Amino acid sequence: MPEQVIQEITNVKTEGGSAFNRVIRGIMPLIGLAAIFLVFYILTDGKLVKGNNVELILSQVYTLMIACTGVFLVMTVGGLDFSQGSILGISSIVISYLSFYSIPLAAVAGVAAGALIGVINGFVHVRFKIMSFIVTICTMFLFRGLCAYLTTNAPVAAVPGITALNALLWFKLLCTVAVLLIVYLAFRYTKLGISLKAIGAGETAARFSGIRVDLMKFIVFVLAGAITGFAAFLNVVKVGSITSTSGSQLETQILIALVLGGMPISGGVKVRFYNIIVGTLIFVILNNGLVMVGLDAAQQQLIKGIIFVIVVALTIDRKTLRVIK
Amino acid sequence: MGEIVLQAENVSKSFGITRAVRNVSLSFNRGEVRGLIGENGSGKSTFVSMLCGIHTIDKGRFLLEGKELKVKNQVEANRKGVSIIVQEMGTLSGLTVAENIFFGNEDKFVKYGIKNTTAMNRETSRLLEKYGFSHINASTMIDHYDFETRKLVEIVKATYFNPKIVVVDETTTALSQFGREELYKHIKRIKEEGNTVIFISHDLLEVINVTDTISVLRDGELIDTVKSCDVTEDELKRLMVGRELGSHYYRTDYGEAVSGEPVLKVEGVCVEGHVRDVSFELHKGEILGIGGLSECGMHELGKAVFAASYDRTGKVRLARGTEINSIPDAIRHRVAYASKDRENESLVINATIGDNICLPSIDDLAERGILKKKKMDRFAKKYADMLSVKMTGIGQFVSDLSGGNKQKVVLARWIGKDSDVIILDSPTRGIDVKVKADIYALMSELKSKGKSIIMISEEIQELLGMSDRILIMKDGKINGEFMRAPELGEEDLIVRMV
Repeated sequence: MPEQVIQEITNVKTEGGSAFNRVIRGIMPLIGLAAIFLVFYILTDGKLVKGNNVELILSQVYTLMIACTGVFLVMTVGGLDFSQGSILGISSIVISYLSFYSIPLAAVAGVAAGALIGVINGFVHVRFKIMSFIVTICTMFLFRGLCAYLTTNAPVAAVPGITALNALLWFKLLCTVAVLLIVYLAFRYTKLGISLKAIGAGETAARFSGIRVDLMKFIVFVLAGAITGFAAFLNVVKVGSITSTSGSQLETQILIALVLGGMPISGGVKVRFYNIIVGTLIFVILNNGLVMVGLDAAQQQLIKGIIFVIVVALTIDRKTLRVIK
Repeated sequence: MGEIVLQAENVSKSFGITRAVRNVSLSFNRGEVRGLIGENGSGKSTFVSMLCGIHTIDKGRFLLEGKELKVKNQVEANRKGVSIIVQEMGTLSGLTVAENIFFGNEDKFVKYGIKNTTAMNRETSRLLEKYGFSHINASTMIDHYDFETRKLVEIVKATYFNPKIVVVDETTTALSQFGREELYKHIKRIKEEGNTVIFISHDLLEVINVTDTISVLRDGELIDTVKSCDVTEDELKRLMVGRELGSHYYRTDYGEAVSGEPVLKVEGVCVEGHVRDVSFELHKGEILGIGGLSECGMHELGKAVFAASYDRTGKVRLARGTEINSIPDAIRHRVAYASKDRENESLVINATIGDNICLPSIDDLAERGILKKKKMDRFAKKYADMLSVKMTGIGQFVSDLSGGNKQKVVLARWIGKDSDVIILDSPTRGIDVKVKADIYALMSELKSKGKSIIMISEEIQELLGMSDRILIMKDGKINGEFMRAPELGEEDLIVRMV
């Protein structure tokens, strides 16, 4: 159906969107986080926050939250990146290989590998004007295939000593906070944020306002790749060796986490940086809680799927709904 | 006069705290052409939107031939005998002309669940022929036709089923003289068939000429209904605004020499299919009008000077020889551009007023790369206030503003950027008299400050009234140049346009 029709139909419903609605929409993710926390706190008799489990929850947060930070930028301009899982896989393999020479070098190389895939994504998207979700689905398959090839005979193992870093709680926490902080400051206090939001809200008008739209879109994909490349470093630190399925499904986890955190799928000016943090926490607590309550994997999938659909239906901004770039 | 066909009884509608339409009661006669006028935001469009089921009615009701009219959407309204031709694009791309005309009414060509496309195309061809639009092909994709032709298709779509009420909502702003004449012809035909037309336009002379009676709205309330034959443009303006307007809203000065100092040189600019080898100079403190028919290439030329066309050749240089080759180049060197397509090109509609005003100036606002929210807010507020944008605050979304206020935001951002060369494409298109007067006053002020303006306009009066010099374009080339003079008339320009 032509998009104007959708707009015509939906305009009518949303134009009454009052200030009250906007406030509710703004704090809804926080309410969601509190609700999910409370539900599982009660269902698990408080075991949710006991000793080991907090550490477990946190260990699931790091990689996801860092990767979300990059995709947050992509989604702000109205794009999507489905190649995230493959980026994590490839970068993890690169890191593992190089960890035998030098661990810092391996980390840098991981970032570079991620950025390189981002360059491919961004270049194809911008140069050939292909929608980003199509481009990144293609690269997802491409690099997933490469991952599988490189791990055909055996998992790729990193230098054994690398997992020692895993024991250092502050190290992983520090890395995560550092990435969040740097991106936050850049987003909030430089022209990056306002430019990306403007592109998401209206690409043509952004171009006519002097924003280098193509360049910004390219940069965003490179950043998303690089940031996930860094997340891969923490991933290697955590698991020590890489199999062909490392990082698979990461892209959907990111997407779900961000949307649960209140991120509008079409991007634009209504994105908020806290969407990353709240969303990741909701997602991880939900995951963890469902396991603790004793549901099997299939049931967990089912429940997560239902929650996702409900949240999208409740929060999607129909007024700005367009084809994802 | 004839019997009443449609009645509105105490119709009201609010958007949040804005009361767009307040207790409007109106009756319309059979076979009447009724004008509906008022400033931007006076509630005209909201009123007819409720009639056609685009908006819901908060209070009150419509009676069509004595029965309450309750419709949820346009298709339903059509079935009850009410149709509308809107200001912006009302056709759906990706469908053929025939599919557009019968959109929502394909059922009559469906047999056993299968659509008979041939019959539909045949029927459409017959209709097009009847309307005198035989140059339009029924089975061609609508996207192949220009804006104006699509409007003609909309006329057919809105009237072929002989509706009792046809609403024409600011359709003429987008049409050239030819399109307008076609529309007037069909308005007259509808009237002669005993049906009723509700005609909305900002062009008061046009309203007086086309309609039998005129209803005036102000701030959502009905002010008066008058006979078109015994009212003047000035009387209507007074009714709309509620006070006497200065009769001269154009410039009144003549003969003052403009400085010969060039600020911008356009040399051999071509845009494939639109502009052919155009050269001119713009001087300091000059308002240069560019006119012509809507397809003459002048709109593309404006974009090309701002370096916004993808395939421009030729050179655009500033006084010191700096070349303008990209939009960021243009903006950095204080060249501004306000597009005819306000909604898509001039403003990021789904962003706030503040963001929109700050966007072109973010490099100036940043200190060592750091942007401070406070400073941006102060900046945005200063220029929004300077242009008296009607808003709840700079955090309000531009999409909530009326056309005139949107244009004020556009101007605010470029004045905030302290632009030296300002390209205004159709600056008063779809804007009411009061804001129009504000915009003209602003242009004069900018001129007196030594800023230069290129004003591209389809309105001849505006060109004559505001320009120091007028270039007329035809088929992508400059086809005449006129200096400002009191004896210069519409005819002089028109001769060069066609």
